[in-house]
Amino acid sequence: MKLTVPVSHPEEVKMLAENGAGEFFCGFVPPEWIERYGGAFWLNRRGPVAGNLLQRDDVSLLAERSHARGIPVYVTFNAPYYTPEQQEFLLPLVGRLAEECGIDGVIVSDVGFLVELRRALPALPVHASSVMASLNPGMVDFLSELGASRVIFPRSLGVEGIAALCAAAAGRLETEAFVLNEGCVFEEGYCMTTHRSVGALCVQLPDVPHRVLPLTPDAAVSLAGEDRKPAREMMGAFRDWVWFQNGCGNSVTERGIPNGPCGLCALYDLAATGVTSLKISGRSSSSFRKLSSLRMVRAVLDLVEGGASREEAAREAVAIRKTPEFCNAGYMCYYREKAS
Amino acid sequence: MLLTRRHREASLQEGAGRGVEVGLSFPFLAAPPPAVLRGEASLDETLRGAAMGDAHAALAEALLRHLPGAAPSRVYVGNETCERLLPTPQAIGSWVASARKGRLALSLVLPPLSRDGLAKAEEAVRALEGVEESEVVANDWGTVHRLRSLHPGLAIVLGRLTHKMLRDPRIADCFDSPRAPMSARSALCRSGELAPGFRALMERYGIGRREIDPFLQPLEEDEWEGRGERLSVHLPYQFVTMGRGCLPAAMHGEAKGKFVAGGPCRTECAKYAVEFRVPVPGGNGAGRHLLSLGNALYHAVPPHVSERVLARLPSGGRMDRVVVAVPAAGRKPSR
Repeated sequence: MKLTVPVSHPEEVKMLAENGAGEFFCGFVPPEWIERYGGAFWLNRRGPVAGNLLQRDDVSLLAERSHARGIPVYVTFNAPYYTPEQQEFLLPLVGRLAEECGIDGVIVSDVGFLVELRRALPALPVHASSVMASLNPGMVDFLSELGASRVIFPRSLGVEGIAALCAAAAGRLETEAFVLNEGCVFEEGYCMTTHRSVGALCVQLPDVPHRVLPLTPDAAVSLAGEDRKPAREMMGAFRDWVWFQNGCGNSVTERGIPNGPCGLCALYDLAATGVTSLKISGRSSSSFRKLSSLRMVRAVLDLVEGGASREEAAREAVAIRKTPEFCNAGYMCYYREKAS
Repeated sequence: MLLTRRHREASLQEGAGRGVEVGLSFPFLAAPPPAVLRGEASLDETLRGAAMGDAHAALAEALLRHLPGAAPSRVYVGNETCERLLPTPQAIGSWVASARKGRLALSLVLPPLSRDGLAKAEEAVRALEGVEESEVVANDWGTVHRLRSLHPGLAIVLGRLTHKMLRDPRIADCFDSPRAPMSARSALCRSGELAPGFRALMERYGIGRREIDPFLQPLEEDEWEGRGERLSVHLPYQFVTMGRGCLPAAMHGEAKGKFVAGGPCRTECAKYAVEFRVPVPGGNGAGRHLLSLGNALYHAVPPHVSERVLARLPSGGRMDRVVVAVPAAGRKPSR
């Protein structure tokens, strides 16, 4: 399995390559896009500046340095959709990144844009972003027929689902699953909200006024009686879950360990699914957090690939996090059903 | 004799409401109310009896003002965000029989499906084979692909969850602000569905109808009329977001099972909703209500948005159907 690692500056390449990165993904936002749309319409899943390269020369340099170490570079064009005018702007841009900067592929979310990319640039590999929410074998068939080269599974897919879709994709599509950082409370591919200006809705919800509404006369009676306490506990659990999914109040611990969703102790089971790449999320993270994340995943994966048992790998995963209380809470897990 | 668009004799329901079809959706009920299925419940009666009384009563008034004499002509079964609420083939068979007597058409709504959900959905869809005017509303392209390969003649409607556009109620009515650059305003008030790649997919999969939300931002005219397929518009709820983890399901059970996709539940969604009031930026204390229904969040759009949508209806444009979701039916139409 390759580790797919975020990169946001050519200077990060050497450090991440020497610590086990197998693939890089990055974002690129050209000045023309910012002139046209300001911050109103994000070109990819990060704001126009944070975590993105802003100069084409930097993309070239990043690709050159990566290729010198045998590492491919994929660029994200994974806004949920692009208007026809935006697609007209982006198609030649992607062509130039491929031909002049040497990128190895792109990551997209808009199914129509995928079709157009395959028509315009048939030699360029296209990955289906997690934002496409590929949840079933029909989606694997759909993507394969459209000529995608990889499917990136959504965060909500469990290990068994990943195994089933990897089997469906075998021989046709590469596969990629999340292993660390940056959760989504909702299903990313079906979330029509924006983080721009107003912040993430999921972070806001636990702290705004709310009320539980009974939908039937019987429910009104239950809510005044036996369901009164569970209703209150439901909101408490929701608050906890949102907190863990969003990095536990701070994206790294005082010991420098990345907080937020984690699949380290499920690596043994993930390896058995046949998934071909594991994604570490966080393009807009600091270089320190990227490196720390990579080292953690590399350490546990090396154990698994070296023949460690499920229990040994899981024990090491919990040990290197150094926050067993977070692990025990369960709400920080990408793959809670496999958590040890 | 009045004929439908498909040149068959129009039902009583189609004869009213200026030819615009009105569908009723009951996403959290174990079965549609029998009186509705039999074609005996009026629109006004059904909506005024709904649990969310105020929003639905106002909508009933607006619908009947724009579409005099409108009556339900189609019933939607299934839920657009949760595969646990997928009806069994047996239930569908029985509803088909009742709906036929009431001269109502049936739409089976499918949520984004998992592997197991897709297998169950295939069985459910088989129960609709040969049923005139029936259709399946699919909310992911994998389901569209699978159903089209299995049923070349099936009427597949593209569900509103596949209509990729921002619709964040906290900020969406600022999307067409005159202070924003024209290119940004335009991009936020239309989708990518008129681009050649998406058009090719619609043709390839033979999609003749797509569902659309009542957007807070005014959509560009092309988004309504620049397409080949017919449009069904939802009222009064705009879809906002969904998760595979479910808030009401977290009322009961152990912590380890809460907010896990496919985790345990007691269909609490049929009993409870949660209403949130989120602040509007710069709104001086103003807020917007979000309704958590099952594993999804919705926003009941204000009357001026419903009016804007309804004003388009009798125009003979692409939009020729209204779908009204009733989260829980009241007593009157359940008789």
